[in-house]
Amino acid sequence: MPGISFAGLIEEVLEKKVPFRFTASGLSMSPFIRDGDVITIAPSSSYDLKRGDVVAFINPSTNLLTVHRILLFSKSGYLIKGDNTSKPDGQVLASDIIGQVVRVEHSGRNMRFGLGVERNAIAFLSHRGWLTPNIWKVWRVIKPFAEKWIINKRRSIL
Amino acid sequence: MDVKLNVVYVPSEGVVARVIEDELIIVPLIAGIGDADDELYTMNETGKAIWLSLDGIKTLKDIAVDLSDKFNASPSIIEQDVIGLIEELTSRKMVVSLS
Repeated sequence: MPGISFAGLIEEVLEKKVPFRFTASGLSMSPFIRDGDVITIAPSSSYDLKRGDVVAFINPSTNLLTVHRILLFSKSGYLIKGDNTSKPDGQVLASDIIGQVVRVEHSGRNMRFGLGVERNAIAFLSHRGWLTPNIWKVWRVIKPFAEKWIINKRRSIL
Repeated sequence: MDVKLNVVYVPSEGVVARVIEDELIIVPLIAGIGDADDELYTMNETGKAIWLSLDGIKTLKDIAVDLSDKFNASPSIIEQDVIGLIEELTSRKMVVSLS
């Protein structure tokens, strides 16, 4: 569905103080939100939004409904960026933010990582350009070894 | 619940509906959530025309007369379509009667 129309549908649901659940598409928030993950958007108050929160808004440069992370906020708005993008979306006004992601489901499982206390650290790293797609490529390579090391470590402790 | 042609029906408070790219999209707000992943409805042209006619003023009979003119179809057939759709929507609590 076109971004603005779908955003309007979401806004109408959220105006009834009811969360909205739908399937996300795209790679810009990978690996925290992956293509095909089901996300739930809840109504947000601009006073509740903090750095690290993942929000839904209409991207002014693309006119698409976008779900990205808040890096920081100032009087001129929120600086928002995808975890897996190289550049921020720019300053977004509080009035352009439709809602906040409160749940991510991957293959039917509830995924909390990226929405909890670590979200602040993720925003910090992302803002400084240290959370680049290259880091995730490196992580994907070393992940099997890291998991194996963790398993071995646990076995040695037991 | 029997659906009657001389009754006015309206969309319930528990749904959100929008026409997007000429397609009617209905999201029921079930169990306190608008679930477009598992519970999203679209309708064909007739269904969309019926839904958009639920203005809180016209009875189902009025709607059937309008649509039989619009689609150049037999009023009795249109009435059956209207009753069938409203019965389905009523059972899903997506429309309610005003009487």
